[in-house]
Amino acid sequence: MGTLIAIRLRNAAALLVLATLLCFTLVVSAPGNVAVLIAELRTPKATFEQVRAVETELGLNDPLVVRYGNWLGGALQGDLGVSYKTGDHIGPTLGSRLPVTFTLVAGGACFAMLLSFALGFVGALWPGRFGDAFTRITALLGASMPSFFVGALLIYFFAVKLRLFPTFGSAGFSSWILPWITIGLLPAAVLSRVVRVGLEEAMAMPFALTAAAKGLSRRASLFRHALPNIAPTYINALGAQSGLMVVGAVVVEPLFALKGVSDFFLQGVLFRDFMVVQACLLIFLTFFIIVNLIADIGIMFTDPKLRRQGGAGT
Amino acid sequence: MSATRRTFLKGIIGVPPFLIGLSPLSLLAQEEGVLRVAASKPAGNLDPQKFSGLWAIQDLMFEPLINYGPGGTYEPALATEWQVENDNKLIRFHLRDGVTFQDGTPWNAAAMTWNLDRWLGKEGFSWMNASRLFSSYNVVDDHTVEILFKEPVLGLLNEFSYIRPSRFLSPKAVDAEGNYQKPVGTGPWMEESASNDGSNFTRFDGYWGEKPSFSRLEVKVLPDSRGRVAALRAGDIDIIGGDFLAPIRATEAVTLKSAGAAVIVEQGSTTVTVAFNPVRNPALGDVKVRQAINIGFDRAAIGKVLYKDLVQPAGNLFPETVPYSGKRFPVPARDVEGAKKLLDEAGWTGDGTRQKDGVPLSIEFVVSEEQLPGARSLAEIMQAQLGEIGMDIKIRSVDHASRHSDLPARNFDMALFLTLGAPYEPFGSIVGLMLSTYDNGVDGKLVVDPENLDPLVNAAMAAPADRIEATTQAIYDWLHDEVAFLPLYYSPAIWAHTERVKGFRMPATEYDLPFEGISLEA
Repeated sequence: MGTLIAIRLRNAAALLVLATLLCFTLVVSAPGNVAVLIAELRTPKATFEQVRAVETELGLNDPLVVRYGNWLGGALQGDLGVSYKTGDHIGPTLGSRLPVTFTLVAGGACFAMLLSFALGFVGALWPGRFGDAFTRITALLGASMPSFFVGALLIYFFAVKLRLFPTFGSAGFSSWILPWITIGLLPAAVLSRVVRVGLEEAMAMPFALTAAAKGLSRRASLFRHALPNIAPTYINALGAQSGLMVVGAVVVEPLFALKGVSDFFLQGVLFRDFMVVQACLLIFLTFFIIVNLIADIGIMFTDPKLRRQGGAGT
Repeated sequence: MSATRRTFLKGIIGVPPFLIGLSPLSLLAQEEGVLRVAASKPAGNLDPQKFSGLWAIQDLMFEPLINYGPGGTYEPALATEWQVENDNKLIRFHLRDGVTFQDGTPWNAAAMTWNLDRWLGKEGFSWMNASRLFSSYNVVDDHTVEILFKEPVLGLLNEFSYIRPSRFLSPKAVDAEGNYQKPVGTGPWMEESASNDGSNFTRFDGYWGEKPSFSRLEVKVLPDSRGRVAALRAGDIDIIGGDFLAPIRATEAVTLKSAGAAVIVEQGSTTVTVAFNPVRNPALGDVKVRQAINIGFDRAAIGKVLYKDLVQPAGNLFPETVPYSGKRFPVPARDVEGAKKLLDEAGWTGDGTRQKDGVPLSIEFVVSEEQLPGARSLAEIMQAQLGEIGMDIKIRSVDHASRHSDLPARNFDMALFLTLGAPYEPFGSIVGLMLSTYDNGVDGKLVVDPENLDPLVNAAMAAPADRIEATTQAIYDWLHDEVAFLPLYYSPAIWAHTERVKGFRMPATEYDLPFEGISLEA
């Protein structure tokens, strides 16, 4: 098991280096000149001379390899650079914004887990019945509706009409409910099908027949025997969906005026604030890699075949 | 080993409550008697001599010598009176007595000149005539200051009403090196706190003017326009609006109105226009082609479909709300047959996309959603309608940074431009967008014609007060006769507020924040 985890960690580190290279390439190949925007901030009618001066000051004329090296070297020491737009250090800003995004994604993941299990179990307990059809339709709707639409609907009914929740902000528990549902609904829909289909397959296995022959109820069989069998598939899907939720946060954070990393990323993109975009991409990629690493380790714990194989086959 | 799996899965069940427990949650706190205003972004650096903060927030704390009032009137503010002498080369300000900054520092000639030293005549501020032509100042007494200029200054009074850099910071609000530390002005609101979520202000009880009737003002940052509309409808926000603060789209204004919110729409001072670039696309060098475009699309239909009749189709460079905006030209009506005839006369013929000497009549139209929300839809309507007269309009939608690279480089055939609006008009746009010798930096030029247009602009700039109307009219006449650009529509100023807000008055410019005269119903 230890070897297996070590291999996963090595792969994750290699992936991270590749990811830094990719995000740097993406950012520098984007059209538009950030020096123009910075010169504009210093004086509303920036001349081209002033724009050239800003380019020199920021090292934008240096070779790409030098720029990448400078950025990566700083990032390894925890220095993610200075925002071109505000002149503030990016590290502390990210530090203050990370808890917001973490709360959003973690809460959304929890909501997705709870709802997916609820829907999946209802469908598996009464296959082919009304409950199964209902959960299937709910999952289809949830997977089909984009986050911005779900968020707008939730705000309209629960905040504007019923006044049960605030329309924006992160000031209290109630202000998080709608963002969590908005970001968690799509993953919940996808995961509920994983649960439903996984349980159905597990219940078709010989051990389920044996359990039924021994007098165990369907419900008890589902919880006691079928559920542990779907764990590897579910954890794998949950890992992928959690990564996607960070992408979804780019839509959800501005909609609910949450000042998280995704909102910061969006501002960086709009302003061509390379340093902010790079730092946020690095955070996203690191998060994605770590979540998948945790998911891989989780799968190892829950899949007896993998455990017995040790490091083989990975 | 199965015990390991079960232990792991049991652990998973504990994750949701654990994560929620880690979250920075707190109970909601609601305060009464507070005006809550939406902003699309954080206030930023509020140094009045920097250019990154939100204008409207700076307006809460920093005051000018002269206030730009409705319809381009000048009202006394930190100066009670002023005299312009020596052919616009000297201005004498008499400062208001009994005024203090929010930190207790007295407002006097020393505080004024300390502020002037931060920008007047300095590099980076030469885009302002007063700074570019500054010669010296003379402190007559503790409450009288004269400023002298090398040449007559065009738009002198307007420039001293600008939010930045012309407003006044307390000399004690900087560190030992003179670097800005905190926003302290003479205005009615004092900043209490500021973060990415918004800014909070308390009333300055030592304010010299009419004090606000409520004690606190909160500016909440809501980046998404749908979120702002929902917040207003739910009563979580009291006021939204303003082009630069929390813009409301026309469709949103209609929604808000039908939902019972108070929506105020008034004629603004900005015009949405289209520039031609005949150097890049020679077809546009022919006035007949430009006129065909001018009458080839339906301004009224655009106003109705895209802007729900909240905008007024334009025939002029400026709306009537702008001083010296000139006589009114008729708004061009769509005339498909007339446009086709003009193109025939210009030699562009054929079915489908017209051609001349084997070259198709293809025009690239550069638009930016960040410059003008709905720009892409606007361009698509023009594309469809101009397609009916045989023009192939290719739309290129760019972002803020690309627009500011492409426009000054004249990397477009046609492009959307906005005039600056009050208090910068009329000369802000006439000089900035049209005088070829004036470096307008990254904003680019609406019309460039050194041979014909520059002499007209220079004549208007040098004209004495009684000749300004005639000289500016000569510019407007030339632009109109040459169809040198397309006026599309005058942007409206749109604000909305909840029922608890009483006495709302539209601000004089899109750069101000309205709070004067407002009272809050319990």
